[in-house]
Amino acid sequence: MEKLLEILEDIQPDADYATCTTLIDDGILDSFAILSIVGELEEQLGVEVSPADIIPANFNSAQALWDMVQRLQG
Amino acid sequence: MSFVATEFLLFVAIAAAGYYLIPKRFQWMWLLLFSYIYYSSSGIKLLFFLLFTTLTTYGAAIWIEQVNQQQSDDKKKIGKKKRNITIIGLLLNFGMLALLKYVNFGIVNINHILHTDFTFPDFLLPLGISFYTFQSMGYLLDVNWGKCKAEHNPFRFALFVSFFPQLLQGPIGRFDRLAHQLYTEHSFDWERTERALQLILWGFFKKMVLADNAGIFVDRIFGNYQTYPGLSIFAVLLYSAQLYGDFSGGMDVVMGIADLFGITMDDNFRRPYFARSITDFWHRWHITLGTWMKDYIFYPLSLSRPMNRFGKFARKRFGKNIGRTLPICIANIVVFLVVGIWHGAAWKFIVYGLYNGLIIAFSGLMAQNYRKWKQALHVNEKANSWMVFQILRTFLLVNISWFFDRANSISDAWGMMKNALTHFNPTELFAIPMGESGIGFTPVGLGIIIFASVILFIVSVLQERGICVRSAIAAKPIVIRWAVYLFLIFALPVLGQPPSATGGFIYAQF
Repeated sequence: MEKLLEILEDIQPDADYATCTTLIDDGILDSFAILSIVGELEEQLGVEVSPADIIPANFNSAQALWDMVQRLQG
Repeated sequence: MSFVATEFLLFVAIAAAGYYLIPKRFQWMWLLLFSYIYYSSSGIKLLFFLLFTTLTTYGAAIWIEQVNQQQSDDKKKIGKKKRNITIIGLLLNFGMLALLKYVNFGIVNINHILHTDFTFPDFLLPLGISFYTFQSMGYLLDVNWGKCKAEHNPFRFALFVSFFPQLLQGPIGRFDRLAHQLYTEHSFDWERTERALQLILWGFFKKMVLADNAGIFVDRIFGNYQTYPGLSIFAVLLYSAQLYGDFSGGMDVVMGIADLFGITMDDNFRRPYFARSITDFWHRWHITLGTWMKDYIFYPLSLSRPMNRFGKFARKRFGKNIGRTLPICIANIVVFLVVGIWHGAAWKFIVYGLYNGLIIAFSGLMAQNYRKWKQALHVNEKANSWMVFQILRTFLLVNISWFFDRANSISDAWGMMKNALTHFNPTELFAIPMGESGIGFTPVGLGIIIFASVILFIVSVLQERGICVRSAIAAKPIVIRWAVYLFLIFALPVLGQPPSATGGFIYAQF
């Protein structure tokens, strides 16, 4: 999770990842940021994300993202 | 049958009345019947194209589902089979779209380059083909990716493809949000009907009073821009008003009609001229096309193997930040190239798409630098002045793109932009006749456009502040409420242009 928070802070520092659960709904993460995160997840955590995984439910919060990472790693 | 026609309103009234009078289990069949009657009204032969997309997409989705249910441990083999079926479906349908819409454009260019004389029959473009093809292909990809299940009833699926309010100019619906609403049973709800009628009325006001009056000036100036060199700025501003009034007005009518049947469509507009960047603009303008492009082209292309390999190369070559962003920028430019081509078979639309794509790509590449510069210059991003600056900057950039969108050719667009910088003569406006009313009516016509724009601006500001104008009006005493309704009803014939003089909606051509 720490690694994920580092990635998020690097790509989009203007968000409170500890509490925010509307990262997509409120437009905090746009499509460029989403794809940058996906690229870093693959580069740093070896996770392969498919287009079908890119849905708001997976990106609306750091926790949701982390759940997706764990699911894809498993 | 145009939306701006008495017979269409009668058609909708009969469809809506019957919808609530027949047994509820037949409601979706009633909608299918009226959708096909509507489509046939543009030419019975064109039904072939609608049926082609319906049947090929229906069949491909069922086939994918059957492959998915096969008992096999080889998931790669199943995945490959599903992908092949999807590709066949995509090729058949986008192939048909390309054949009807783009082959002539290709042949004209080949003839120009090779000095040949090839010809190809000039097909009549089926009504709404770009919209229903994109909607159906989105469904097929969703089934392939497991985002939704295949619809087994071909008639129900036919309704998803052909639902008549959206057939002409969208919005491009998604199966998971739209289909269940079409098939479920609906009871008559007076409050919902009243709100739907309000929306339809507001849509017609935007279309007939704002867009159609502005369109008279737009057509005249863009068609003869050298005759009116001092009006280029006015022409593009009037086109901004016309296009927004026409398309968003049309969407209000579509959504209002769908609402009459208890169906909520996806929003297609969210006050685009308040956008603070071009990216933000595309989140507010023709939203369903933007999200379609994002989900079905931008993400898959960005995550494809070649892009992945390019990303790794770019990271080594240019460092982490640029290496990470460059493949996304390229995918974004490709998407906007497709957006441009979607708008029409002409080089000016390709330039229009590339212009938007390049601005967004450049912003993406520069995002980290912008952040640093704003910090260094102590820019307060929450200040109203900064917000107004961003909105005006974006409006300017959007208006530059409208020159390419509306001018007859790229050279005309350049010519008009040059005139916009070198000539300014508002008095030329008064030499443009207001249709059959002549130039004597021109000052009144301009006054009506300004008046309608001010009303639209006030409504938009209220909506931007989170106020639901329709609810606010509905909460007022009956006298005020009906004064508003009667004003809008009488504004259409008194202030608006007659439908016979203006033709249909701009986006219905796509």
